[in-house]
Amino acid sequence: MTTTRRRFVQGSAAAAALVAAPAIGRAQSAPSSARTVKAVMQGDLRSFDPIWTTANITSYHAGLIYDTLFGVDADNKPQPQMVESYGTSEDQLTWTFKLRDGLRFHDGAAVTAADCIASIRRWAVRDGAGQHMFQRVKDTSAKDERTFSISFSEPYPLTLDAFAKAGTPVLYMMRKKDAETDPMQQVAEHIGSGPFIFNAKETKQGASYVYDRNPNYLPRSEPASGMAGGKIAKLDRVVWDNVADDQTAIAALQNGEIDFYELPPIDLIDQLEADKNIHVEVLNKSGQMIWCRMNWLYPPFDNIKARQALLYLVNQLDVLKAAFGNPKYYRSCGSYFGCGTPMENDENTQWFKEAPNKAKAAQLFKEAGYDGRPVIILQPTNFAVFNTADQLLAQWLKEIGVNAQLAASDWGGVVTRRAVREPPEKGGWNIFVTSASGASFGNPITLVGHAANGDKGWFGWPKDVKHEQLRDKWARAQPQDRLAVAKEIQQNAWNFVPHVYMGLYLQPAAWRANIKGVIGMPELIPFWNMEKT
Amino acid sequence: MIAYVIRRLASIVVVMVLVGVCVFLLLHLAPGDPAAIIAGDNATPEQIAAIRAHLGLDEALPVQFLRWSASVLSGDLGVSIFSNTPVTTLIGQRLEPTLSLSLATLAFAVPVALVLGVLAAWRVGSGLDRAAMMVSVAGFSAPAFVVGYLMIYVFAVTLKWLPVQGYTPIGQDLGDWARHLVLPALTLGLAYVALIARITRATMLDVLAEDYIRTAKAKGVATAPMLVKHALKNAGVPIITVIGIGVALLIGGVVITETVFNIPGIGRLVVDAISKRDYPIIQGVILVFSAVYVVINLLVDLSYTLIDPRIRY
Repeated sequence: MTTTRRRFVQGSAAAAALVAAPAIGRAQSAPSSARTVKAVMQGDLRSFDPIWTTANITSYHAGLIYDTLFGVDADNKPQPQMVESYGTSEDQLTWTFKLRDGLRFHDGAAVTAADCIASIRRWAVRDGAGQHMFQRVKDTSAKDERTFSISFSEPYPLTLDAFAKAGTPVLYMMRKKDAETDPMQQVAEHIGSGPFIFNAKETKQGASYVYDRNPNYLPRSEPASGMAGGKIAKLDRVVWDNVADDQTAIAALQNGEIDFYELPPIDLIDQLEADKNIHVEVLNKSGQMIWCRMNWLYPPFDNIKARQALLYLVNQLDVLKAAFGNPKYYRSCGSYFGCGTPMENDENTQWFKEAPNKAKAAQLFKEAGYDGRPVIILQPTNFAVFNTADQLLAQWLKEIGVNAQLAASDWGGVVTRRAVREPPEKGGWNIFVTSASGASFGNPITLVGHAANGDKGWFGWPKDVKHEQLRDKWARAQPQDRLAVAKEIQQNAWNFVPHVYMGLYLQPAAWRANIKGVIGMPELIPFWNMEKT
Repeated sequence: MIAYVIRRLASIVVVMVLVGVCVFLLLHLAPGDPAAIIAGDNATPEQIAAIRAHLGLDEALPVQFLRWSASVLSGDLGVSIFSNTPVTTLIGQRLEPTLSLSLATLAFAVPVALVLGVLAAWRVGSGLDRAAMMVSVAGFSAPAFVVGYLMIYVFAVTLKWLPVQGYTPIGQDLGDWARHLVLPALTLGLAYVALIARITRATMLDVLAEDYIRTAKAKGVATAPMLVKHALKNAGVPIITVIGIGVALLIGGVVITETVFNIPGIGRLVVDAISKRDYPIIQGVILVFSAVYVVINLLVDLSYTLIDPRIRY
């Protein structure tokens, strides 16, 4: 057959059409870019089960596809979300909850009381607040399809706080069959009743995660406020791109290839603030608290004086200056309950007003009988903030005659070694530094690090009987009485010193200027209410 | 020849066993606990221990190794500790971007390097030679991530000619697929160009000094056919060897380039897996990379017979 020019052109056009056909087909079905937000979040979404892991990113994922019985509003007060009405019995021992009518999971099944009970039970196995609650729970039962009750052995005023908390693991409602999964295993499917649906088909693990608007979601009528109010999805699609490189993410944001960047590096914020197409704002106004945990099992920090010494040694502003540079985005904080939280107070903070006081710190170490043994500080070199804090702490300790030694590794090495209960010289440790949302410090029950129950507690294993009694007292107190108990807790805590704070920083997020309706709150980045103009 | 191929394939098995043992031991003996990373910062030590037990990570190392080896021998590279997805599925999902990047890099680097090397040798000592070698030195000296950032700044952010990051599957949009590969291929290819150009120049200089080249010139053979058919072909064996060895460079460079340009390839997969200690993925990918490297070197050795008929196995 002779190839003519006409045949060649026809053939090329056919070939081009064949190659373009998938693209044309996809273009017709994918939401428009005008209603799609592409975001770079704090890390890769490695696991999808918000009960199985306490990783924040997984909770963000769950916040999109699941809903909660209650949610904290912008004032950190629990508000009903899936619940239509609730109340307690006269003796305060039984709580009854009725669900809103018409709530459905993404597979079309109605949300029932049985789903909620199973979800609560699974959450309570893994969550500190849930464990604390369920030590007092006698029974959970479904009254009808939409109503269930929880009976306690004693009044438990913290019920709504526990149900509404935004700190991980959050109490998200799952289908009963998912919630009946062993809490030590991951759920196999990710079907919620939230404002977005997880698009597993278009998701590429490790690369991009896709969420589509749930057209059947029933938002509340109140305006959106924190995790409460009307969760109206104004976007058709949210895509999380896993961009590992900060510089690349910044360039992509400036180029308009992504719309939202959760954690831009602080040293590049100036560059973003100068770009009129980019908006920079702190969403988590309670900040992120850097804190230092000491190992109570071995000297020197098994001695109260050595722990008190650290209160006088740490210069929070120096840590923050070194790690962040821009004072607009950090502050020091002396309250055991963090700053900007309802329980913040000024009890027993003389040390905060005096610090740094190296002479006093040195004296306290001497009184502790410090014998010159190495003090091992776990140093994660791939986390700039902790790396900086560790190096400064080591330097200050050396300046007062303490034999501080840095044990460098990546964060994975730190999380492994901090679980070791052997002596420091046999693979254990004396100090590690980490951070948590400032808001989470405001509740002495829900933050696992606030417990001082020794062996059963979080890394560091602080132990103080009076502290545990006061925590229980706070849990039993009515909301209006909690601040008074919090002051007692703080008075005691800064005497026995379970841990030391190293400063509070405010991490701004950045997004394209045409993105509106971004809700600021701790512990979560909500994508409802967000829209592209 | 067939016997030679069979012998080489048999040696791959030995190499794979050694690689498997080494990578397993290195991973499990190095610090880090995937159970602690899975559990997250708010978990208690008891919760972490429970996860570790559930994943079988608390069993003796020989037991874990035997279990993993048995599954690898049956073609099962295991399941990601974090996502519960089979490693083979994850590798399969990431194969296209990495292959696309590697082939695009080769398609750019090999012709450019050959041309540079041949021209530099032909005009040895001239300005062209010096310029070619300067490019070569710069390409080998500059780290890939620095080159990548510069490329992004100039061509994406400032000129807005090309995208900053990302990858579009070839079946989704051919043009977009190509656009997304330009900068990463240039970035990764620069070091490859440097390596091949230098070897090409050195080998060509040796060949151009041979008697048969002088004879060809005396017979009136034009410059281009003389350089290509007479000289380059005879210089081919070391050049092909370096291209084959450079695959290792390519594999390592792919890891960095995929991170800088956010390409969801196998390189990114293994980097992410390392940071979270996802042992099955790390082990699986390293086995795959090792096998690819060994097979490519076998193909390189076999290709000698095409270039030089005197070589027989």
